[in-house]
Amino acid sequence: MIKGIKHLARRVGGIKNLILILLATLLGLTLLLDIFVVERIFDPLGYLYLTLGIVFLLYVAWPLYHSRRLVQYYWQRVKRNRLAVLGLAFILFLILLAIFGPLFTTDPTAANFEQKNLPPVGFTTSESIYNPQTGQFITKVISGTWEHPLGTDNKGRDLLAMIISGARVSLQVGLLATGIAVALGTLIGVISAYLGGKMDNILMRFTDIMMTFPFFLLLVFIVFIFGPSLAFIVLVIGLTGWTGVARLIRSEALSLRTREFVLAAKALGASDGRIILAHLVPNVISLIIVIATLSIPGVIMAEAALSFIGLGDPAVTSWGMVLRAGQQSLDTAWWVAVAPGVMLFFTVLAFNFVGDGLRDAFDPRSSV
Amino acid sequence: MRKTWLRDYIIKRLFYAVIIAWGILTITFILVRVGPTSPADKYLTNLAARGEEPAQVIAAIEARYGLDKPILAQYADYVVNLLRGDWGWSFSTSMPVIKLIKTHWIYSFQLILFSTILAALVGILIGIYSAVRQYSKTDYIATFFSFIGISIPNFWLGVMLILLFSVKLGLFKTYYDTGIPLFSLANLKQLILPVITLGTGMMAGYTRYTRSAMLDNLRKEFVRTARAKGLPERVVIGKHVFRNAILPLVTIIMFDLGSIVFGGAYLTEIVFGIPGLGRISFNAIFADDYAVVVAVTLISAFLILLINLTTDIAYAYLDPRIRYD
Repeated sequence: MIKGIKHLARRVGGIKNLILILLATLLGLTLLLDIFVVERIFDPLGYLYLTLGIVFLLYVAWPLYHSRRLVQYYWQRVKRNRLAVLGLAFILFLILLAIFGPLFTTDPTAANFEQKNLPPVGFTTSESIYNPQTGQFITKVISGTWEHPLGTDNKGRDLLAMIISGARVSLQVGLLATGIAVALGTLIGVISAYLGGKMDNILMRFTDIMMTFPFFLLLVFIVFIFGPSLAFIVLVIGLTGWTGVARLIRSEALSLRTREFVLAAKALGASDGRIILAHLVPNVISLIIVIATLSIPGVIMAEAALSFIGLGDPAVTSWGMVLRAGQQSLDTAWWVAVAPGVMLFFTVLAFNFVGDGLRDAFDPRSSV
Repeated sequence: MRKTWLRDYIIKRLFYAVIIAWGILTITFILVRVGPTSPADKYLTNLAARGEEPAQVIAAIEARYGLDKPILAQYADYVVNLLRGDWGWSFSTSMPVIKLIKTHWIYSFQLILFSTILAALVGILIGIYSAVRQYSKTDYIATFFSFIGISIPNFWLGVMLILLFSVKLGLFKTYYDTGIPLFSLANLKQLILPVITLGTGMMAGYTRYTRSAMLDNLRKEFVRTARAKGLPERVVIGKHVFRNAILPLVTIIMFDLGSIVFGGAYLTEIVFGIPGLGRISFNAIFADDYAVVVAVTLISAFLILLINLTTDIAYAYLDPRIRYD
């Protein structure tokens, strides 16, 4: 039995690939079951989470766990960069906020017109109210309450709740779409570099074509045609955002292709699949981690921009959507436009700091 | 020897450009065709609202737009029409798409032109200064601000500028006024906020690129030689280091123009209500006007293709050291 498994594992290029294939088949079967027999085992985002979770565990977490000492060494170097640590702390805070925040806040979509345009705590605004009996305008001073710490918008929705919901959306999109883009880009880049020749030419010309589309306009175009839903937006960003990753990984893998350990593996009769997944990919993993971290800001901004122009998922409250509402009430409730932008800005800044710190730790001379 | 190589290189690049152009057309066509609704459906609601028979309307529209033909014939029509300059009919504005674009491109052009010039000038100057005084206080401040400039979402920056300068201080109008003639001081004034909005991110990027390109060259042997010869520092930096740093920099600026600037201009136009290509595409999205959205996407992709092609060829021509295989 064990011998059989070992034999099978060798055929597909290692035990990890065997586990991946088994889990992927399982997931595929669930998806088929979901579509044709029963409805909704997982929602579309759930499938993305599961797929990426499996790939992450097998190809990122597992190798990292195997080389704990190396990870510790790099962590010591990242720690020296104070901005990177600060960024990491903010990201952790954001993740906690996204997971546990909704437990403490009200429904972000619940409108309450009696409490509209409340300023944040510590701020006051004045509102002119027409008094029909006297025919005069009365100036009423409104100050923020702790019930709505960040104030409310022009429909009386709680801004804090909207911000927390937005953090959820941004993180989900940022992590999932980047995961798809990086996985796809890595695969295409490594295959292109390893196989070379015609395959390389075809893949790189295709990359050129995709790169010639302006990223954001292509995104707008596709979402316009197929309609906005969060899972679809994640998928589209992932499926269009891999080009830069593929280029970088390809050039890195090209230099690895002729190295001794690859030749040795080839001489020992390893299959192409095994060389790509077991020898080439693990050797570009530090580059992958840096690229992934530095890609997240762009992805988060792209989603925010999409919802800002009204092409976001209308069912979930995201930062871009709040900002859009905020721009329309700039003269009555400025805080609605300020809060989501500040969060977006700090999130992007945090990921940029962490990415920069990681890059310096892995390879101080590189300029990814 | 070099001449034939250059000619071969240009021919090869042109050949690739044609392939890429074909790929852009094809991908766009496939996306529109695969989409869940056909353009005919979108017109349908409009026409059916006027009390016309749905089935007849569908048939009429499909015949008019050739949607009843086999898919390959449609594809051929699509490509031929685009090449002939027939880019379709925008029903939300009731004019041919090509005419719509002809009247609106100038607004995008002026925004992108001013932002790029400003961002490149300021960014490159700060970058040079930052590199020459590496690890000085100015360098740290410049690096810090370029980080902020890269991380700030430009549409939010635009909204904040409107909030501060238009709503609170009342210095500018909150919206772009198309009544003002294009070539006037008033138009320049109302472009200030949009140009800052679009230019900030670009400027931050150029500062970083210039700094690292200058630093790369500052460490080279020929710089030491130039200094050893007793050349004044101004000449060493300006003539020896900067000249070597400028070419890769121009490539990056040109590349950015495509990938970042077009998207940024799209958003900036929406924030400020500038009636450029981004704004007409935005309006078309909410009017379900397919032809306009397709046209704007195609035009920007083709422009990028053209820019990249020119940059590559100019680069090979200008830098005698360059060799591509």
